[in-house]
Amino acid sequence: MSGATLASLNAAVKRFGKITALDQLTLSVGKGEILALLGHNGAGKSTAINILLGLQRPDSGHAELFGLDPQEIAARRRIGIMMQEVGLSPALKPRELIRQVSNYYHSPYDTEAVIKRLSLESLAERRYGVLSGGQKRQVQFGMAICGRPELLFLDEPSVGMDVHARSSLWEVIRDLRREGCSIVLTTHNLEEAEALADRVTVIAHGKLVASGTVDQIRSYVSRKTIFCKSTLPADTIRAWPGVEQLHEELGRLQIVTHDAESILRQLLNGDAQVRDIEVRRAGLTEAFVEITNANQAANGNGGGQEKAR
Amino acid sequence: MSVDTMTNYSTSSLSGSRLLGAYLGDIKIEFTKMIRTPAFAVPTLFFPAMFYVLFGVVMQGGDPEASLQIFARMGVFGTMAPGLFGFGVSLAFEREYGQLTFKQALPTPPGSYLLARMLMAMLFASIIATLLIVLAVTLTKAPLTAVSAIKVFFIEVLGVLPFCAMGLFVGSAASGQAAPAIVNIIYLPMAFLSGLWFPLQYLKYPIFQEMAPLWPSFHLSQIALHELGKESFGSMGSHFCALIGITLLFFTIAVRRLSGAGVHMFGARRPGAAVRKSRLLGTAVIFVSIALIIAGVMGGHEKVPAVTSTVAAEEGAGSPVTDTQSAAPVGVTAPETTQLANFDGGSTAVSYGLGWIAADDKTRGGDSVSAVKLTSGGAAGSKAAMEVAGTVGTAIAYPFAGTVFFPAGDTRTGFEKWGFMDYSKRKTLRFQVRGDGQDYLVMFIGPVMGGIPAMYHFTAGQDWKEVSVPLRDLASLDLERVKMVGIGTMTAGPFRFEIDDVRIE
Repeated sequence: MSGATLASLNAAVKRFGKITALDQLTLSVGKGEILALLGHNGAGKSTAINILLGLQRPDSGHAELFGLDPQEIAARRRIGIMMQEVGLSPALKPRELIRQVSNYYHSPYDTEAVIKRLSLESLAERRYGVLSGGQKRQVQFGMAICGRPELLFLDEPSVGMDVHARSSLWEVIRDLRREGCSIVLTTHNLEEAEALADRVTVIAHGKLVASGTVDQIRSYVSRKTIFCKSTLPADTIRAWPGVEQLHEELGRLQIVTHDAESILRQLLNGDAQVRDIEVRRAGLTEAFVEITNANQAANGNGGGQEKAR
Repeated sequence: MSVDTMTNYSTSSLSGSRLLGAYLGDIKIEFTKMIRTPAFAVPTLFFPAMFYVLFGVVMQGGDPEASLQIFARMGVFGTMAPGLFGFGVSLAFEREYGQLTFKQALPTPPGSYLLARMLMAMLFASIIATLLIVLAVTLTKAPLTAVSAIKVFFIEVLGVLPFCAMGLFVGSAASGQAAPAIVNIIYLPMAFLSGLWFPLQYLKYPIFQEMAPLWPSFHLSQIALHELGKESFGSMGSHFCALIGITLLFFTIAVRRLSGAGVHMFGARRPGAAVRKSRLLGTAVIFVSIALIIAGVMGGHEKVPAVTSTVAAEEGAGSPVTDTQSAAPVGVTAPETTQLANFDGGSTAVSYGLGWIAADDKTRGGDSVSAVKLTSGGAAGSKAAMEVAGTVGTAIAYPFAGTVFFPAGDTRTGFEKWGFMDYSKRKTLRFQVRGDGQDYLVMFIGPVMGGIPAMYHFTAGQDWKEVSVPLRDLASLDLERVKMVGIGTMTAGPFRFEIDDVRIE
């Protein structure tokens, strides 16, 4: 993270009846970064975002947006928002919807420029109600960026989009970041987080359990998987020290290990015929599963400890 | 926290023109949205005009006075839908589908959501009012001056506010699915019970007339009728009190409900003194509005005569202005006697007034005939009774033949000059009857001509029997102003019946 903090939660607590949605959560969004906020359903992501958007107030702790209370309209004039579930008026046209939102900002982009940037020209004069789910998301994205925001909140931005639309969306998101816009990305799609985020924050049970770059988070899982085709019997390999798991699928072995280098050496030494070797590091998905499981286990043991910082 | 000193974080408010642009943009979008929603726009814009043409032109045959009255009532009907549906149904949907939350998170200028919607409703109301004015001027000879047209226009445009507030309340509470049903359940019965479809006098149960001042549409229609010089009920002050009270009450409760659900229509406030202050203010407004409503309901009863009838009233005679409800002053107090002829003295006459005489529909262009004569041997062994016999013709739509009595009538002047009799202290009209087994009716005519008179049906069988008419239960009978009592039939064909010992007690 570099430069200023644009938005932050400081020891924020939010309870809904008996449920503690946020438990002393502290996080911050720096200038020019894409922060992915990850967590299972009910982990507290939405509550954290709602507080940063001024939709809710923390019971204790602080929330700030551009140094102001998020409920101050002046703070919200500097952000763009794409919510996960919002039913806009079906009778209105994308051009009208984008223009209406632009009106709320100091120096918005030209509506036509937004339409062009997102390739919405062919949709701009159709009724919103007749658009497909993915097209609606594109229009909502247009409404989020039209105010020339310094900070963009995107909640599951690519849901419902086809592969093509999604990759152009990602391209625009990367461009925006290059232009200096910070982005808070909430997503279930870890591939999306992996592709876009500079920094990842994992929330579980209303607490921050891990935070770091995508690489740092991935390294929580030091296991690697070796894929190969070998003439050695599977049971022989399974018996080697350091092999944690071994699967065989379509004649291809998957060897899970913490010590990929020594297993590889043994393979190459022991089997002159070994081929199609591929070594994969754990992805964000595995890391996320690992981190949240560990957190669950820790909570289960009554420790309630954060796994990592 | 670290703040980027390079950026100026104090740029807080939009420039005046951009802020105005934001408000105007919201108003335009709101109107565009509603006008593109046919389920809202078509009934809202065209039903009042359609009903005006049906009730005010087709049904009244261009009768200028009647059509002017219906112009006022349908105009008020037209102000109801934009607010009730525009706020009630749309708000409920937008609340349910997250649009309201989205607006809340966006830097929407404070109050713009409500303002845009309110102006949308007013814009719709102004289109409706214009449409009705154009119809009234082109299709009828209604005496609508430019000044009263403008007054009515503004009454109707501002009149949307209480309905906006009621709609806001429904929208703040109901789900998107339930809201259209709830709004319709409020909308149509309220229009009916406020006397927008039929004058309230036609409602059979007096309780509904008593309840009328509860409905904002009643108050608004009384203001409009008064402005057009028509008879209205209650003082204008009480109508304004009620309308302001209803608007404030529903608006305050709705805004509170929404704010409790995290939707702050005027921007959120930090918890603490400001919130406590605004809650306190809200509570005060609720109490004041309830007081205003009570004042409005209390002052909503007594009759204000129509301006057009003052000349007739000064002359001391009932004006037979077609269709208008009693343009007339209260009738002469009825003489002490309860007897309205027993026919034993050799005459069909009552001790006062004119009658009983034979009556038919010839003056209205009909071909019915009727004759009265005394017969010997009345009810309960009395000396004589009166026989009424003749034939009801088919020449006109509402034929009549029988006998009539004009309590304030006399032979020296004519029908137009006769006044009314005040029977408000009497409860029952009683008489003995026998006849050919057919159904007959007792009919009362007051200052209202051309409408449906108050009627009571009975059968005249072979043997004498008593008919007692519960005067106070008859719909649309103005007991203070009775011009004519008739007994006869509207059924085509020959008829014959005898009456005896007629009393009003």
